[in-house]
Amino acid sequence: MTTAPPLANPLRAGPRIGRTPQPAALVMFGGTGDLAARKIVPALYNLALQRLLPAAFAVVGAARATLTDEQFRESLHADLVQYSRTKPINEDVWRSFAEHVHYVSTKDGEGYETLRHTLANLDVQLGTNGNRLFYLATPPSAYEPIVDMIKEHRLTENVNARVVVEKPFGHDLESASALSHKLQGVFTEDEIFRIDHYLGKETVQNILVLRFANGIFEPVWNRQYVDHVQITVAESLGIEERAPYYEHAGALRDIVQNHLLQLLALVGMEPPVSFDSKAVRDEKLKVLRAIRPISERDVEANVVRGQYGAGFIDGSPARAYREEDGVSSASATESFVAIRAFIDNWRWEGTPFYLRTGKRLPKRTTEIAIQFRAAPHQVFSREAAEGMEPNALVLRIQPDEGISLKFGAKVPVQGIRIRSVNMDFVYGASFMVDAPDAYETLILDALRGDATLFTRQDEVEQQWRFVDPIARTWSVGQADLPAYPSGSWGPTEADLLIARDGRSWRKP
Amino acid sequence: MSVRPEIDEAIWGARADGVSALERELARLRRSFGAHAKEQGVAVARASVLNLVVFATRDLHAQRAAATIDELATRHPSRAIVIVADRHRSGVAPELEMHCRLPIPGGAQQVSYEQILIRARGDADRRLVSAVIPLLLPDLPVFLWWTETPPLDLVVFEDLIGLADRLIVDSADFARADRTLARLHAVALGGHGRYGITDFNWTRITPWRELVSQFFDVPAWRPFLDRVTGIRVGFAVDADGREIHPSQALLFVGWLASRLGWTAVESLAPSEAGGLLFAMRRADGAEIQVRIRPRFMRGLDEGHLTGLRIQATGDGLNAEFVVKREENSSHATTLVTLGGRGMAQRIVPLGRPGVSELLGEELTIARSDSIYEDALAALVALA
Repeated sequence: MTTAPPLANPLRAGPRIGRTPQPAALVMFGGTGDLAARKIVPALYNLALQRLLPAAFAVVGAARATLTDEQFRESLHADLVQYSRTKPINEDVWRSFAEHVHYVSTKDGEGYETLRHTLANLDVQLGTNGNRLFYLATPPSAYEPIVDMIKEHRLTENVNARVVVEKPFGHDLESASALSHKLQGVFTEDEIFRIDHYLGKETVQNILVLRFANGIFEPVWNRQYVDHVQITVAESLGIEERAPYYEHAGALRDIVQNHLLQLLALVGMEPPVSFDSKAVRDEKLKVLRAIRPISERDVEANVVRGQYGAGFIDGSPARAYREEDGVSSASATESFVAIRAFIDNWRWEGTPFYLRTGKRLPKRTTEIAIQFRAAPHQVFSREAAEGMEPNALVLRIQPDEGISLKFGAKVPVQGIRIRSVNMDFVYGASFMVDAPDAYETLILDALRGDATLFTRQDEVEQQWRFVDPIARTWSVGQADLPAYPSGSWGPTEADLLIARDGRSWRKP
Repeated sequence: MSVRPEIDEAIWGARADGVSALERELARLRRSFGAHAKEQGVAVARASVLNLVVFATRDLHAQRAAATIDELATRHPSRAIVIVADRHRSGVAPELEMHCRLPIPGGAQQVSYEQILIRARGDADRRLVSAVIPLLLPDLPVFLWWTETPPLDLVVFEDLIGLADRLIVDSADFARADRTLARLHAVALGGHGRYGITDFNWTRITPWRELVSQFFDVPAWRPFLDRVTGIRVGFAVDADGREIHPSQALLFVGWLASRLGWTAVESLAPSEAGGLLFAMRRADGAEIQVRIRPRFMRGLDEGHLTGLRIQATGDGLNAEFVVKREENSSHATTLVTLGGRGMAQRIVPLGRPGVSELLGEELTIARSDSIYEDALAALVALA
């Protein structure tokens, strides 16, 4: 909209006030779906509880079903009771929030016309003033038709519109580019917010703070001092009800392409000049481009996949992947991936990054371990130093967010005996506030138009460029697909992958 | 001379006079605590993120502070030094008695922290700081929590504030807020940026400020902010109307005035039943009527805001912006009325955080809040 810039609000100053976004309407496509129920609505409600939503704020659910506003509100309430991170539900706050929740059936063009009127009405009546956030909380197959309809019914015309897209962003480079192209027919790249919810996690953002707000880590954060880096994203869950999606995606597309490579980028990137969306994402892109490609013929030496068999999780029997509901008994989908990667740049030349992710591993944990080189010269007798391991800096992303540094210390006895001890920083123990949920952080950022924690098109495409050759190799079915028992740390082949370099996986 | 009161060791731990005896006792406690935890198979982290020095002259204040620190321990592990000094000093020989303990919070992850009591008897003001300095953990910020109105002219205050990075007070406890808040401004100025000031009463009105700010994020309503004609602020009193503590209300008015460039026309004048009525002037010269009124509200402590109303006129349209606490609930209703038409009503949570929550929130902000100092300055002009 080309009007005079809005007057600044002089009341919004100081360290205590400042995160509330501008008045806006959030349009939730797939409003009756799973993502809305589990993540978006609970996040919005909890933002309302923290008084972080603007005074004028409305939610418009859009889906194919025919529902009244009242029916829609009731179903959201039921979801909230189940999925809110804070309980019990504060009914007064919910009722007040729900008054500005509407529903529009968008099964046809007429529905989109209704949507247009509803939004125009809110702009005037409630004061949302043309700020619109379209949230595509639908299966990816619905993105295209929705974007077409948004365009056809001019929902972004003369307003300030943004769109939030959930992963998967395509299933390979080509489809990801096509999706971006489609979105860019209606929105500019600056208006497109691709959610990788990992980036909304407090401890993931803390990687940047740890690296770039401190003076002591950066000097050793390179090939001179770092022996190797291990990044683990482990889940103890199986695929639950996600078989239709997972069968086609597998761990490579589901986790490696986005979360793991994003973590790698944050650990490996060069310092950005500022913490703004362009500078940070430019640097991430640079390091993503520097990852040595693994071509079809290198896959066997650098990548291991696996699929979980039957076993035990938390003391209970767990069934094999191929016996899960909706999974083919001959499925060749991987539920585990381990990769040996290199970043070909000045900082990291020759330093391996071992990445692994899997389902039905012994526990749910995400961590990044920077394994430092051993002291250059062994001063102490071999006997004394027997219990000693090289220094490791471990960033625990979840659960028990925190940072620990392992170093050698003298055991308090006569003579010299050395043992490794941990210096531990527990996130929850140092700060009063509970870490906000990732979706709350990200939705608030999207409403405020801050894209720092969202993935840009060129990043997504670069991530696909790395993953595509691996996926292609596996799709022709040559590579092994070893099974690993549920509740183990993956197939033996993964251990061999790292053992060939004379190293071993951590037990996080 | 009265009988010397005993220190309750169940609360304050064993006696260990002198800094080195105290450190030995703490080390012993840490070892046994560690061994105990090991038996239970839990990890003990001896974590410290700050030094907290509490100064009180009433046992009640000291115990309240100690209980608050206990609640905070798992989140903000600290070394806490609680000083209790005599109120009446004449005829008592100066002496410092010290106690220490490691409170044991529950939960699987045990965090150990340390609490030290210094009981100062007689006129021990000059010697206190020499006992505090060696007890502070190095390289950690020092928070000084003064449980009464800070006395600028006392040696012990001057000594202790000299160690502090931050002064914590609760202006809810101040008598005659209209005058003492101005004194706090002098304390803030005296800091010259060496320490910041935290006032729990300021923290308590943060949600109110937030809600008022949100009104004027709406572009259509923003112009009214420059056209305010009157504000009314209510604060809670007891049923008899005897406990009059308008400091939150005054801070709120001071905040609006400082942000919007209002100036004082006249000084604060008492109106009926403990209220205040006065005029201020907008940047464009127009007058604003300010009315601060006591109100009894069931279940609400004295001094807390009960509601506020901002009136404005622009383009021939009267507007009102209202935030109103609901009686007996932890909610507020916000409402905008434009030309007599009510709109954008919503209900928002408005809790009544306890002192430990307030302190916890303050500890996350490790710098002074110039907005607060500006608000105080605006009040000085009214006093």
